Amino acid sequence: MSISLNNLSKRYGSTHAVENVSAEITHGSLTAILGPSGSGKSTLLKLISGLEAPDEGRVIIDGDDVTDVDPRHRDIGFCFQSYAPFRHMNVAKNVGFGLKVRKRPAAEIDARVKELLALVKLDDKASRYPSQLSGGERQRMALARALAIEPRVLLLDEPFGALDAVVRQELRQWVKVLHEQIHVTTVLVTHDQQEAMEVADQLIVMSAGRVVQSGNPLALYESPATDFVHEFLGPSTVFGGVVTRPHDLELVSVYDGAMKGRITSIVSLGFEAQVTVELSDGTTTWVQLSRNELSKMGLRVALLVGVRRRTDADF
Amino acid sequence: MSTALATPPPASRSRWRRLRSRLGLGLLAGGGGALIVGYLSLIVLIPIAALVSHGLSISVVTHGAGLAFWRWHVSIGVRTFWEAITAPGAKEAIFLSLWLSLSVAAINAVMGVAIAWVLVRDKFFGKGLLEASIDLPFALPTIVAGVVLLAIYGVDSPIHVDLFETWMGLMMALLFVTLPFSVRAVQPVLASLDLESEAAARTLGAGSVRTFFTVVLPSIWPAVLGGFGLAFARAVGEFGSISLIAGGLGRTTTASYYVYNLTQGFLWTDAAAVSTLLLVLSLVILVTTNVIAHRYQRRTL
Repeated sequence: MSISLNNLSKRYGSTHAVENVSAEITHGSLTAILGPSGSGKSTLLKLISGLEAPDEGRVIIDGDDVTDVDPRHRDIGFCFQSYAPFRHMNVAKNVGFGLKVRKRPAAEIDARVKELLALVKLDDKASRYPSQLSGGERQRMALARALAIEPRVLLLDEPFGALDAVVRQELRQWVKVLHEQIHVTTVLVTHDQQEAMEVADQLIVMSAGRVVQSGNPLALYESPATDFVHEFLGPSTVFGGVVTRPHDLELVSVYDGAMKGRITSIVSLGFEAQVTVELSDGTTTWVQLSRNELSKMGLRVALLVGVRRRTDADF
Repeated sequence: MSTALATPPPASRSRWRRLRSRLGLGLLAGGGGALIVGYLSLIVLIPIAALVSHGLSISVVTHGAGLAFWRWHVSIGVRTFWEAITAPGAKEAIFLSLWLSLSVAAINAVMGVAIAWVLVRDKFFGKGLLEASIDLPFALPTIVAGVVLLAIYGVDSPIHVDLFETWMGLMMALLFVTLPFSVRAVQPVLASLDLESEAAARTLGAGSVRTFFTVVLPSIWPAVLGGFGLAFARAVGEFGSISLIAGGLGRTTTASYYVYNLTQGFLWTDAAAVSTLLLVLSLVILVTTNVIAHRYQRRTL
């Protein structure tokens, strides 16, 4: 189901959490709202869910104006950052909660819960309590609970925020696969650009309550509309007065470069290396090289080099 | 009280235990252990032991000379005890105390949740005043509470509601003195609740009444039980506020008032016997509510 947000604004006192935001989220997409903390991305998600009411603007889900509809009746699945488990209910009861509220027959609830627990790979944990689950398992339980009511839209607030790196990576992949299986329109909020690029097929980048740019991740990465988007979506540096990606620069012999400079530091991060160069115009830039390039060129600190844009870079 | 109110963080229990023992001051290891045991003995254990032994007419008789323990004979006056608590007037008084205390604890469990809810969740004019007035029964000498209640609901009631020498008057007094236990037991737990669980219930389609009974109440249930136990124990033992309202009639004589009457007639053994029964009743309710709350918590936290 598609979502359109029309000129949404939300103020808390004198702060504009969300200011005049319009966006289209296409049916079946997996959209990431990306922005630094305080950019209004979580507020925007709450506006879509109805947990917060906008001061101005409309929320339209699948053609219906739901702006004044209580979250109870919006048919949305919402996963909270804290997972918000019902602690005194076991996993099966948690997942079946929404169906029980909807007064579905017990047999139907049991069958649906079983099906969902299989989907999120918690079939063997049905009678456990949330306190007996790991963080990743709780997250999956929360997802199953939200999906149980067959929502028109699935909303995830910082879904991987509280997990450790390995589980986080696993769950990201898993959410992507899950989305391909069930194809429910999904919106997730994150401050992690890598996560957004990896999982989402659409990005909405926010800053200070406004949408800065939206579109598909690669397009945004390749042609960011502003310096903010450029810097936020990936590593960036300034070369010749222009913000650019450090992997779009290369180091060459001092006579070939567009600009001369002296290497001030080399930081090796496994596969990649970051070489910082102080340029002859007084500015500093850094260049991202592969480990192979680094060793082939025999670079060291204090060496004079030339810096230029890679000829195959930028379109 | 502690098991019902102290809520460990949702970390694993063993980790919590380890942390707790590391943060402990090692007080028991030092001379502190002796101090604490001595203090508790002096103000709690010895008086209670004396009361119970007196109430059960426990006496130690030695036969012949010498201190050899096999010559000792412990006599327990079960019969005296039984006669004291089944005496005409005693049964009625104990029964009155029991049903009054149970209903007062139950009513205040409900009202305590409602008041705590308003204090935690709502903003309104005069909230600070309400917050302070909850503790008033703690601060007020209970006999003063009796005087105040009689001034309003007494014979010369300005609102023409005369509860003097009625069970309703007694109940009024007991509701007043036990209210802080019921409110303060629930309030901190309610304040620490995760609001996102309630929001989750809402997005899943639950209305506010359903959310309260299926999400909120189960989370605060141990605290409500704890408050119930404390309020009951307090109500069973309450004397000050009741002594004025009861007026000395048989039908408004509670167990504590009955004990007082016995002491006025120097019937110390009978007084100790009835007191022992009250003590056991309170203890049973307190321990039961705590055990239930603890079991419940162990599963869900």
